[in-house]
Amino acid sequence: MTIQSGPFEITSVPLPPKDAEVLTTACAYCTVACGYKVYRWPVGRSGGSKAAENALGVDFPTGAALQPWISPSQHNIARHKGRPHHVVVIPDYDAKVVNVGGNHSVRGGTLAQKVYNPNSPTRDRLLYPMIRVAGVLQPVSWDLATEVMAEVSKYVLSKYGEHAWGMKTYSYEYFENTYAISKLVNVSIGTPVYAPHDKPQNAEDAAGLDDAGINSFAASYEDWRDCEVAYLSGVDPYETKSILFTEWMMKGAKKMIFVTPHRTMGVAYGEQNGGLWLPVIPGSDTALHLALARIIIENKWQDQAFIDQWVANQWDVEAGYGRGTRNTRWQWRTTWGAFQSDWNDFQKWIMKEEAAELQNAAKITGLSPELIMKAAEMIAKPKADGTRPKTSFMLEKGNYWSNNYMNTATLATLGLLCGAGNRPGQVISRGGGHQRGGMGAGGGKGWLSPEKHPGRRKKALNVDRWVMDGNVRFFWTIGCTWFAAMLSSQELQTRVHELVRSNPHQPRNINKDHLIETYKKRVDTGGMVLVDSDIYPVEPLNTQIADIVLPAAGWGEADFTRCNSERRLRLYSAFNDAPGDAKPDWWAIAKFGQKMGFDGYDWKSSNDVFEESSRFSRGGVLSYHVLVTEAKKQGKKGHELLRELGTDGIQTPIRLVDGKMVGTKRLHDPVNKRGEIEGVTVDQKWLHSFDTHSGKAIMLKASWKFAGWIDFYEAVKPRKDKGEIWITNGRVNETWQSGFDDLRKPHLSKRWPWPWIIIHPDDAKAQGIESGDLVQAYNDEVFVQTGAPIGVLDKDLTFTELRKNGHIKVTTGQFTAVAIVSDEMRPGVALASFNYPGAPANSVCHAVPDPVSGNYRYKLGRGVLSKVGSSVYKTSLTEMSLKPRPII
Amino acid sequence: MTSTNHPHGRMACVSRRQMLILGGSAVTVVALPAGDVLAQVKKKGEPKPKPTLVKSAYEPKKIVPLAQIKPRKPIEFTYPNDDVTNILVKLGERAGAGVGADDDIVAFNTVCPHMGGPLGAEVYKPEHSVLGPCPLHLSTYDLTKHGMLLSGHSSDGLPQIVLEVRGADVYAVGVMGLIYGYDRNPITA
Repeated sequence: MTIQSGPFEITSVPLPPKDAEVLTTACAYCTVACGYKVYRWPVGRSGGSKAAENALGVDFPTGAALQPWISPSQHNIARHKGRPHHVVVIPDYDAKVVNVGGNHSVRGGTLAQKVYNPNSPTRDRLLYPMIRVAGVLQPVSWDLATEVMAEVSKYVLSKYGEHAWGMKTYSYEYFENTYAISKLVNVSIGTPVYAPHDKPQNAEDAAGLDDAGINSFAASYEDWRDCEVAYLSGVDPYETKSILFTEWMMKGAKKMIFVTPHRTMGVAYGEQNGGLWLPVIPGSDTALHLALARIIIENKWQDQAFIDQWVANQWDVEAGYGRGTRNTRWQWRTTWGAFQSDWNDFQKWIMKEEAAELQNAAKITGLSPELIMKAAEMIAKPKADGTRPKTSFMLEKGNYWSNNYMNTATLATLGLLCGAGNRPGQVISRGGGHQRGGMGAGGGKGWLSPEKHPGRRKKALNVDRWVMDGNVRFFWTIGCTWFAAMLSSQELQTRVHELVRSNPHQPRNINKDHLIETYKKRVDTGGMVLVDSDIYPVEPLNTQIADIVLPAAGWGEADFTRCNSERRLRLYSAFNDAPGDAKPDWWAIAKFGQKMGFDGYDWKSSNDVFEESSRFSRGGVLSYHVLVTEAKKQGKKGHELLRELGTDGIQTPIRLVDGKMVGTKRLHDPVNKRGEIEGVTVDQKWLHSFDTHSGKAIMLKASWKFAGWIDFYEAVKPRKDKGEIWITNGRVNETWQSGFDDLRKPHLSKRWPWPWIIIHPDDAKAQGIESGDLVQAYNDEVFVQTGAPIGVLDKDLTFTELRKNGHIKVTTGQFTAVAIVSDEMRPGVALASFNYPGAPANSVCHAVPDPVSGNYRYKLGRGVLSKVGSSVYKTSLTEMSLKPRPII
Repeated sequence: MTSTNHPHGRMACVSRRQMLILGGSAVTVVALPAGDVLAQVKKKGEPKPKPTLVKSAYEPKKIVPLAQIKPRKPIEFTYPNDDVTNILVKLGERAGAGVGADDDIVAFNTVCPHMGGPLGAEVYKPEHSVLGPCPLHLSTYDLTKHGMLLSGHSSDGLPQIVLEVRGADVYAVGVMGLIYGYDRNPITA
């Protein structure tokens, strides 16, 4: 075991012997999903330093950069079939894709430290199912836990209906688990009360892109390498997608434009290499996009040939109401196309749009007109020889979690003007957050949602609000923090605590009949029974509140499959025993399903679930059905055929061409010709053209003063008279995982032992705050939407109308963090660590969804900063560096 | 750095080079002959024999006279063998394991523990007491906190060379952390 109890005590690592077993996997963390190799051998011996004596086939010392090497954090002692084994987890130095040549991030580089080892900080893994008795969790059997859950569920479903039974789970944690969850929620229980980890409701992340006809994950990593200009909206891939940045984007001459109030290391690198930093005021991106579009059109810098071929004209739009003739979400949320435009219409509209005028946009965004003009030239102005710059557009949370629909819609339009969307090096795509591991099981009961868009059109249910209003009697969370990830976090967790723990009916023993009886009384008195599945204690969800806690087996403990943000599918091999009684979540779902008496929950292995799920992937961008059918032809298991593809994997949708499995590099690209797809897959328009009725992309017009936005934005701006500033939230490289595994890895917990907040010196000085001080951020007016408002007229879901009709509650929120005072922030904007245990930065943000998409405006927090005192890190020489990040 | 510096088995090399010194430094290990340990177990309750010898794998090396160290002017040196390049620098602010009157003289290895990029004096940032960014992937290290990764990718911190002031000179006496490219830190001077 390699434990660093003090700074850098380890001065050697064991080398894997020649006969060490080698398994492939991919990184557990960010969306890039680098390929990794696991070397495993029994404790008691090690390989030698000669190439012939170790499994890496390398002489040590290696003597040069970029060679295979094992750092102390890449070794651990695990249990395999009950016996202690060395495990070394290192990037695949033979990789030809993703992390070519073994590049890796600080996250993946420390994967071995995530492996359960009772001698390490992972000792707090959840080992047994537990039930809370007299306030304290006690170990029980899986049978007891799931039987109680099933009996209470049956009671709730029969007495209160499916609207009283809900779930909130990760959307990404492997196809096997998400398929099982979807089957339970959508098919067997049939409830609309479901939301993924990062949203209050089950709907699109970047709906504006979808409505333009662009898939959020259309790009390949090589597009980010091959572009000449990268417009990066609300994202620094260096911090959150490191290998996409260091292995792909840093290759080739490239200008990067960063639109973010935080000058990170990636921004500093971009500036040094001829790029721009556009430190926008939070939430103002739409005005920037509109101004850029107008400058481009005024100067005739648009890619006219691309627009003529690929952008829908009026006839294309009206022939199918833009996205299609069917009654789809697009029409529901945009009131039958209020945002839709076409090239002729858009040119006229943008000239009348006030916010698109450069001086107005400069005022709204807080950027100088010169800077906006420079950005427009960089992304669109043809070169002296008449050729156009190859520009790609990336967006992430700073964009779509601040003004969800409008920011994504206007960025899509800006990208289309520049000729991006479906060509090498010219793409419009999300950078990605988590990996892509969500698989549905068909069905879905979203139509049972009581919420309605204007015109009484279908709208997904906001689960937070539904729970807070006391409508849910049984709720199961899997692998998420819930409160800290949602908004007005303290209000939400206080209410859930009230429904679960403050109810008088609390178990006093673990006898089955008593538990069932107590929980039935609980739900009959307006309370809620809460189950949580996870791998660690999660504060306060399962430590203080949940009644039943189930231990999960995760990465490296069961065979799983998942795609990354270029849709690359790999097998994540099991290589060590799950601790205690921890089981994969699909197993827990199966156990519960059986206790409920449902059919189709008798999977024996992870592969069984994978193979069953494949036909539901058919027709989607993550389709792996061809792989499973090919495996069957070869007499293999689906997982085994994928294992043979190693860290290369294959990019979905997987197609069968001339009898061979073929991956798909880029979506919407006409090189993916019609007619290639036969047999087990179906032709999809989005493979070779845009995802609209006409196959052409839709230009969307979103006015800055749209009633669903502007009154909310005015209400949530920092109030100068109170001394407030914007308090937004985000991640940095070394604590990408928000203190989950991070705090169990000595290298990372030493770096970030506590949540942080980065404050500009001007804002810090006003409050007497220095680096290393403990700071409270406090917002005394946090808005929370209540009830399940129904839209009839267009204006019904606007902030003003909601407030008038009693749907806006006002509460407060705060958190405490360690200050880092640095001019890397735009003045007037502080950035707090997102979702950090014990310091929910989202507490100061408003839980009022975007009325068009239903998503929260997560990044628009505000508050007053005040000094609490000095933290221990102000003088510590061993923990938490307080230096600025962009030192270049 | 080449493997030809290690023509013999590493352990053989270690035993030949093991040096016995008195007192403790950051990388010393208490060592007793095996027989003494057994005796200690068997005769519990009897007075414990005093550890008499302390072994260090590293040989102290004189780096530079204190008087020649100028604030924020890095000095390059090799340690613990001629292949391993380091810098010594007086940061001008207190630092973990810093020596000198102001506890601000530190020394670090100059190979990035991410993927082996060069981190020499040319990327020292005196205004921040930071080394970096590494030209390969932009990692930076905080020299006031034992070479902690400030921003970037390495899965461990930058190895620190342990310093001692002996009389008017600064000596390197050990290494904290595994040097990039090695499975075991070299010990030959």
